[in-house]
Amino acid sequence: MNNLNDLMGPLQSWTFWLRLRRAWTWGLRGLTLGAGLALLMGGTLLWNARLLRAEFLVLTGGMLLLGTSIAALTAALWPVSVSWAARHFDGVFGLGERVSTALELSQSKTDYPANLVALQRADAIRMAQNVNPRGRMPLKLPRLETLVTLILLAALALTWFRGGQWFAASQQTRNVQQAVKEETQNIEELIAQIEQNNSLTEEQKQSLTEPLQQAVQELNQNPSLENSVAVLTNSGEKLQSLSDAQTQQMQQGLQNAGQKLAEQNGSPLQSVGQQLAQGDIVSAASELKNIDVSKLSQAEQGQLADQLNQMAQSLGASDPQLSQQLQQAAQALQSGDQAAAQQALQNAAQALAQSGQQAAYSQTAQQAAAQLGQGASQVVAAGGSQQGNSQQAGTQPGQGQGQTPGQGQGQGQTPGQGQGQGSSGSGSGDGQASPGGEAGTSPIPQNAPSDGGQTTYEPIYAPSLLGGQGGPNVNLPGSGDNSGDVIGQGPTTPGNPGASLVPYNEVYSQYDQINQQAMQNTSIPFQFITIIQSYFNLIRP
Amino acid sequence: MTETISVEQFREYAARVESEVGKVIVGQNEIVRHVLVGILSGGHVLLEGVPGLGKTMLIRTLGQALDLKFSRIQFTPDLMPSDILGTEILSDENGHREFRFREGPLFANLVLADEINRATPKTQSALLEAMQESSVTIAQQTHHLEEPFFVLATQNPLEMEGTYPLPEAQLDRFLFKVNVNLPEVADMVEILERTTGKETPAAGRAISGADLLQMRTLARAVPLASHVKEYIAKLVLATHPEHSTATPLVKKYVRYGSSPRGGQALVLGSKVTALLAGRYNVAFEDIHSVAPAAFRHRLLLNFDGLAEGVSTDAVIAELLKEMPH
Repeated sequence: MNNLNDLMGPLQSWTFWLRLRRAWTWGLRGLTLGAGLALLMGGTLLWNARLLRAEFLVLTGGMLLLGTSIAALTAALWPVSVSWAARHFDGVFGLGERVSTALELSQSKTDYPANLVALQRADAIRMAQNVNPRGRMPLKLPRLETLVTLILLAALALTWFRGGQWFAASQQTRNVQQAVKEETQNIEELIAQIEQNNSLTEEQKQSLTEPLQQAVQELNQNPSLENSVAVLTNSGEKLQSLSDAQTQQMQQGLQNAGQKLAEQNGSPLQSVGQQLAQGDIVSAASELKNIDVSKLSQAEQGQLADQLNQMAQSLGASDPQLSQQLQQAAQALQSGDQAAAQQALQNAAQALAQSGQQAAYSQTAQQAAAQLGQGASQVVAAGGSQQGNSQQAGTQPGQGQGQTPGQGQGQGQTPGQGQGQGSSGSGSGDGQASPGGEAGTSPIPQNAPSDGGQTTYEPIYAPSLLGGQGGPNVNLPGSGDNSGDVIGQGPTTPGNPGASLVPYNEVYSQYDQINQQAMQNTSIPFQFITIIQSYFNLIRP
Repeated sequence: MTETISVEQFREYAARVESEVGKVIVGQNEIVRHVLVGILSGGHVLLEGVPGLGKTMLIRTLGQALDLKFSRIQFTPDLMPSDILGTEILSDENGHREFRFREGPLFANLVLADEINRATPKTQSALLEAMQESSVTIAQQTHHLEEPFFVLATQNPLEMEGTYPLPEAQLDRFLFKVNVNLPEVADMVEILERTTGKETPAAGRAISGADLLQMRTLARAVPLASHVKEYIAKLVLATHPEHSTATPLVKKYVRYGSSPRGGQALVLGSKVTALLAGRYNVAFEDIHSVAPAAFRHRLLLNFDGLAEGVSTDAVIAELLKEMPH
């Protein structure tokens, strides 16, 4: 007597094979879907330059794996009822509804004759046992679907192998975004520093932070290379316009005067001089205000008057108002009118404080402009970098002015591969292959072509500090210590003065004049204006 | 209910009948099979075809092979119902006169209603009760017909002159309608040879009426799965143009679809077909096999269908093709 188990055995076996076959078929469809989605998403992201090569690999691999596995698993685990399976296999294997009828007859009570039901079941079992499910339901790949899948995979492979330009553009965009993000943070820190600066009035703080806040807002809205550089440049120019060269001269004059006063031990203005020498004009003003003339001896009053006179003379050009106040105080002291002298000192202290605030304002504006200029350079460098952050350092040396927007003449074939040729002729650099290359390769004059031999030159490195040790860090592109980039060669061995025999203090004023004219008449990038100006200030004799 | 014959016997009996009929009828195996299925299903069969194709011969041969009480009624326009059913006659027996019912030719096991569409509708309708109830009521007295009883009718195509279309109610009572077409060349040659020789072949007795009843009983016991039943029901409903599952051709060309009798015909015919195929259950292929014969006369075409010469067979073929299992 055949029982139900004889029928369920083959049915379960067929169902397992059906699940496997479904997984096979739907796995391929999932692969197709995954490849299609990967191509669509990858293409869209690459079109917008937002996908790196590694990310493309992860995206493609993930989509293919997910698509295939989810589709295959879903198909394999899709619920299959026994009755449905029986009907399905009856149709697929041409069993003439034997299995489904036998199953139904065995699972429910019917009025059919028992012997006929038994005969029917035996017939169903006999037919079921003769079925070869693998032969009737082979694991085949549908031709059209396979072709579509192969085409999509080929397109993905083509994108991977031939999409170097797109990936490079994406890398460039990513670098720019990172640089812009960092620069945004720097600006926000700068804003915070300005807000905490007690030397500035509220109006000054507002006028300084306003362009910075606007820059942050615009950078957040559109962090593209072009917009970021434009925003940083414009904001830097606005800040630069807030700084005053005359104020800087005044500040320098006050500093020089302060140094002289600080050297005079025991003098009434020594503490004022010390504060001025340190650049703290507001504190110096406070010290000046605190001088009580009535407590000074006659000799000290005379000394004070002399020092005030000297100070007034040294500031005559840079700060006439303060100079006048100081002279009035000196005259009052010399005339013995202590009250008038005290009042004049109060006035001078007030004028000094105002000058200090103006100086701090100008200095802060200048520093902010320099920082924005540096940020713009970094964004430009990030945009010009092709090989990612690891080689970003190599792109900066030797770039000079060549990569500044509007200055260089780009001949790039791909983003980041161009060679910026600076219009100022200060050097050229290969943004990709020669990090820190010898930008200054012009021959040294002593090595004339007719020499017939080679001279051993000492490498000259780009300076990182102006004014020697302790000077401000200028962060010039290509700057560094001896391990940095060679920017030229020359015979600078001790005892060898070279071709320049005129002391620089004799030619400084001439050079500075030319410098001022050049800065006024030529379009030097603003981020370098401050550097050049700092340089001349530092070497001022 | 238990069957009294085995499935093997069923098939053997059927094969015997087909063999005996085949001695006389050449090349109409499918038609013979359909008629046999109709008889074994307990229904009446209508054969339609132009004159001379052997319709009458086929039925008469079947009568010989089945060893049943055979009666032939030649339908003519002047045929009256009483000519078929019988009539009350005045009898004089021992001086006692009384009306006695005299059975008409309908009182037989196998009735050949030859050229049934040549009789008037009134006479045609005389068959209604007999075909449905296996009884005849005359003078308020019901006379039961002996089982097995079935009518095998022939008719000429309606476009022939001198014919009266069978009313729908009458048509619906035929389990199957079988179209008789021209034989193939080889069959035609064989027919000519057999019918013009010295001896005319004759069919011998294959089975008895009792055997036939047992076969009917067994056929009705064949299991039918629920989803197969549902399929039959869906098929019947899909023949109605107003139904949502109707196919495009049905919607376009059919005026009325099949009655539930069409579904009954499908079930019974499929069961017999299954047994004849050596199967103990009904399969979809059995349904497809009998569907044309079961639906052909139950689908009434609309004006467009008639005007465009659409055949009901084409509508049924599309229905079977489009209707999912």
